[in-house]
Amino acid sequence: MSPLLRFMTSRTWLVALAALLVLVAINWYLQPNLMTPRVVRSNLSVFLPVALVAIGQTYVILAGDIDLSVGAIVSLVNVIVVSLIASFGGDVPGILGAMAIGVGVGIACGLVNGFLVAVLRLQSIVSTFATGIVFGALALLVMPTAGGSVPSVYWRSYGGTLGGVPVIYWIYGVSLLMVAFIAARPFFKHLAAVGGHRAASFQTGLPTTRIRIGAYALCGLFSAFAALCLTGETASGDPLLGQALALSSILAVVVGGTALAGGRGSAFGSILGAIVVGTISNVVFFARPPFEYQTLIEGAITLAALAGGVLVARGRRTQ
Amino acid sequence: MSTALIRNPLVLAFLSILVILAAGEIISPGFARGDQISKLLTVSAILGIVAAGQCLVVIGGREGIDLSVGVMISLGAVLAGNVMSGSNGAIAPAFLVAGGATFLIGIVNGLGVTFLRIPPLVMTLGMTGVVQGGLTVITRGIPSGNAAPALMSFVNEPLFLGLPGILFIWALIGVLMWFLLRRTDLGYAIYAMGSNERAATLVGVPVRFIRVLLYGLSGLFAGITGVLVIGYTGNSFVSVGDQYMLLSIIAVVIGGVSLNGGTGNYFGVMLGAIALTLLQSVLTTLQLESWGRQLTFGVVLVLLMLLYGRSKRQRV
Amino acid sequence: MAPLLDVAGVAKRFGAVTALSDGALRVGTGEIHALLGANGSGKSTLCKIIAGAVARDAGVLQLHGADAVLKHPRDAERLGVGLFYQELSLVPQLTVADNIFLGHERTAPLGFLSARRKRADVTALISRFAPVLGDGFSPDVPVARLAADQRQIVEILKVLSRKPKLIIFDEATAALDRRQVAIFFDVLRELRAEGVSSIFISHRMDEIFAVSDRITVMRNGVTVASFATADTDQDAVVHAMVGDAPLRERIEHPRPANAAPARITLTSGTSRRLHGVSLSVGAGEILGLGGLQGQGQSVLLQGLFGAAPFTNGTIAIDGKPVPVRSPAAAVRHGVAYVSGDRGRDAALQGRSIFENIANATLVREKRRVFWPRQLKPRFEEALKQLNTKYASLDAPIGSLSGGNQQKVFIARWLATGAKVLLLDDPAKGVDLGAKADFFSLARGLAAEGAGIVFYASDDAELLSVCDRILVFNSGRITAELTGSTLTSFHLTKAAYGEAA
Repeated sequence: MSPLLRFMTSRTWLVALAALLVLVAINWYLQPNLMTPRVVRSNLSVFLPVALVAIGQTYVILAGDIDLSVGAIVSLVNVIVVSLIASFGGDVPGILGAMAIGVGVGIACGLVNGFLVAVLRLQSIVSTFATGIVFGALALLVMPTAGGSVPSVYWRSYGGTLGGVPVIYWIYGVSLLMVAFIAARPFFKHLAAVGGHRAASFQTGLPTTRIRIGAYALCGLFSAFAALCLTGETASGDPLLGQALALSSILAVVVGGTALAGGRGSAFGSILGAIVVGTISNVVFFARPPFEYQTLIEGAITLAALAGGVLVARGRRTQ
Repeated sequence: MSTALIRNPLVLAFLSILVILAAGEIISPGFARGDQISKLLTVSAILGIVAAGQCLVVIGGREGIDLSVGVMISLGAVLAGNVMSGSNGAIAPAFLVAGGATFLIGIVNGLGVTFLRIPPLVMTLGMTGVVQGGLTVITRGIPSGNAAPALMSFVNEPLFLGLPGILFIWALIGVLMWFLLRRTDLGYAIYAMGSNERAATLVGVPVRFIRVLLYGLSGLFAGITGVLVIGYTGNSFVSVGDQYMLLSIIAVVIGGVSLNGGTGNYFGVMLGAIALTLLQSVLTTLQLESWGRQLTFGVVLVLLMLLYGRSKRQRV
Repeated sequence: MAPLLDVAGVAKRFGAVTALSDGALRVGTGEIHALLGANGSGKSTLCKIIAGAVARDAGVLQLHGADAVLKHPRDAERLGVGLFYQELSLVPQLTVADNIFLGHERTAPLGFLSARRKRADVTALISRFAPVLGDGFSPDVPVARLAADQRQIVEILKVLSRKPKLIIFDEATAALDRRQVAIFFDVLRELRAEGVSSIFISHRMDEIFAVSDRITVMRNGVTVASFATADTDQDAVVHAMVGDAPLRERIEHPRPANAAPARITLTSGTSRRLHGVSLSVGAGEILGLGGLQGQGQSVLLQGLFGAAPFTNGTIAIDGKPVPVRSPAAAVRHGVAYVSGDRGRDAALQGRSIFENIANATLVREKRRVFWPRQLKPRFEEALKQLNTKYASLDAPIGSLSGGNQQKVFIARWLATGAKVLLLDDPAKGVDLGAKADFFSLARGLAAEGAGIVFYASDDAELLSVCDRILVFNSGRITAELTGSTLTSFHLTKAAYGEAA
């Protein structure tokens, strides 16, 4: 195998990157002001929550499971944080405390999922769907209807800049660092091994149960981050906030080249996947097809991207 | 023995139904009244018919699942509404158009799953977006079309023995499903390929052809369900089928069909659909706030899965 | 000084089956110890007990002179025991290097993965085997892309990378060629010089004598003999393995002489691992396929059945050329295939015995609709011919023992009235009683006019059942044994024909 081919096959996100470049080029042609700082920033801030949830979803999928409850986790963390900030009085220490508790709630939700799937060995699709209903119920308990608000310091900071750089770019940067950190740990190899061939991983002596729970906990953590960002974006609480996120995060993961069956993929690819999926709808919007054809075209391109992601993740295989 | 019995999905689903009915009657006297039950069965039938296709796809194995049934129901309803436009004479063409379109969409799902080897979850999820787009094209975002009066009374009004016609259709589908799965080579082949695809291939079962067909059938059932849904509600709206996507999967699972494939039968799924509908109805009757309703629903689901949703073996 | 490993009186039962009744093994420091015995003699169970993968029911197990408690493979690993798994422990999606170090990743300070250390260590490990790695082998390639021999080398390197004091190699050379084996032996000898001991299981006698210091022989779950290799010879070892049981006499089966066309004929069948093989099986004939494992016998049978179609070559059934591109086509022409790997190739787990039999009949007869009671008498008759023990046709297949399950999978074809039987090591891992039932049935079917192609990894089975044996090596027929050449001696000689 040539070194170039080897480089390419070991990085499944390269195809997502290529797709992204093509899409951005088309988008730029259709929308000449695309590359102005303001438009780039607003696009990236729209993609950020999906990208964050997709990062977490990647770890679960890599380990051979799936998490349909991420949307509900996002909603739950959002309403808890908004309510807590209100009851803590809205000062900065109170806000930080509420955010920390929100992150803790996200991780706890992930641990519950991990316990059901890895310890009780329930099927991940149905059990995370069920826990999603439960988390959603808790969100409704905390806040029955959308409402509440966060102090302006919260959303002003989120939409503002830090050291001259927009805060959302800092969030992207920190997320990339975390992704790189996790990818550089033995844990990442263990995730891929457990998702690739669970029996072999067990034979090799890996603690497969702990690894799968860890993946769910990470997924809860990143979902909580997404919730904090969405809270900054909407400046209020909404118990149905995350509804669409479960499916769109899976979309982003698959488009990013991670195999749905587990064992192969990267969280970096999922970030690219989230941006690709978002850019597809931008392109379709700016191409100005007849209004009623927009969703159809978007759906068809997305399906093609999904199929492409699957074929890339599978790679070429002899035998 | 007694634990084996309680772990039998059929027995369990049936017991759940009795318990839920009793609970409903205690909470709200009149819940278990004849006309109420007939109403609940009608709602169950709609869920049960779409779950028939879902159940076939799941039994066929290789992580079989169809997430596109929801939008296909909507598509069926919209197409049927436009074909019928309130005219009794156009009921049969409505079934043909709706069922034909969704059958073909299902075939495309099957081709993607079988020949491109795209995981069913991804393929049918992607197809959901495409069909959604198709719906917008057809409706231009404005709901249109309405059901023929005869179809509405068939679904809603007593036809025979005080029961609406849709229940007889459902019973007929139940018998046909039993016949298909237990008395034809196709049914045996579906279980065989769901249990062990390689072994099925090695006794000469045309696995790929059948898998494509299963997704087609799932589409067909969804289309038929769509026609019945518009019969139930009178007119369609674009998201009318959405709720059935996950409900149909849950009905299949609590009906005792393992998502690993190769086990279960449609009677269990019918009971599962009834139990699910009753549970939702009791929770509504309880006049709980929506969080309480949802919480109970989620917890009951987890408990049911704990009773018999455990994967028998670790995936190897 | 106490030996490195001292096992005595170890017993293990699996349900009603006694796998091991009195296992004993003593391995010194820096020793290559061969463990021999026929299939089912308890070698593998003993090895798994030593590696902590199976818990013993009784007996003493000492490592480094102290009693060892082994509840999990990790416990054994901590005590310096490494077990070579035949395939099971590689993750196909991970690269060669990641597989080798899985669970023992090479790290830099603060526990980060170190690509540099990984590369250095893997290069050092691989370098020993460098001349024999073959095409497309590199530390960065996913294991899924490797050939069987390359995977086996990865598995060996994975065990070695853990630097154990005692390594158990269970059939570690099965997929390797002669040059690869030679290097592997050099490695074993180097390890011995460093004080590392190996337990070595192989079915190749010449390998055992070439490399081992001591030989321990097991028979029927009991350790029966232990030799210093230098002080013994093959005859003595074989005698210990076989015991005093008289060698079963071959019964001559006069073949019905008739001029009818052959049941099945293959002309220059070619596929990736088969090079222009031609053969012909007459009605009433049992044709054996001999040779070492993996020399193309299974590939040939799967080709004849259409499960792995030939790229070239023609198949004729009863004299008529027919295309066999899929199992369905083969089944409709009256061909049946029985695999020895029941779990993978035959069992419909969770389904009834009836269903496990019925599918083949439905395909063969193109029955669209049926009533079970039409078929039940036929299936019961087929099961009876094989002395199958079962409660009812509606019982789940999993309720039967391994041997009885295999009988169901043979009965599935009897019920179709197949005229050509392709048997791919069908008696692998079944008990002696069931074996006898298979072979008497095979003879009976042949007498009724069936043509049978029979591959067995056990030479004794081939010699006692077959009328004629084609011996395979590297995808080619190297010899045809008939009449007076149907002996263990000729078979072994032909099997090693080119390899030894």
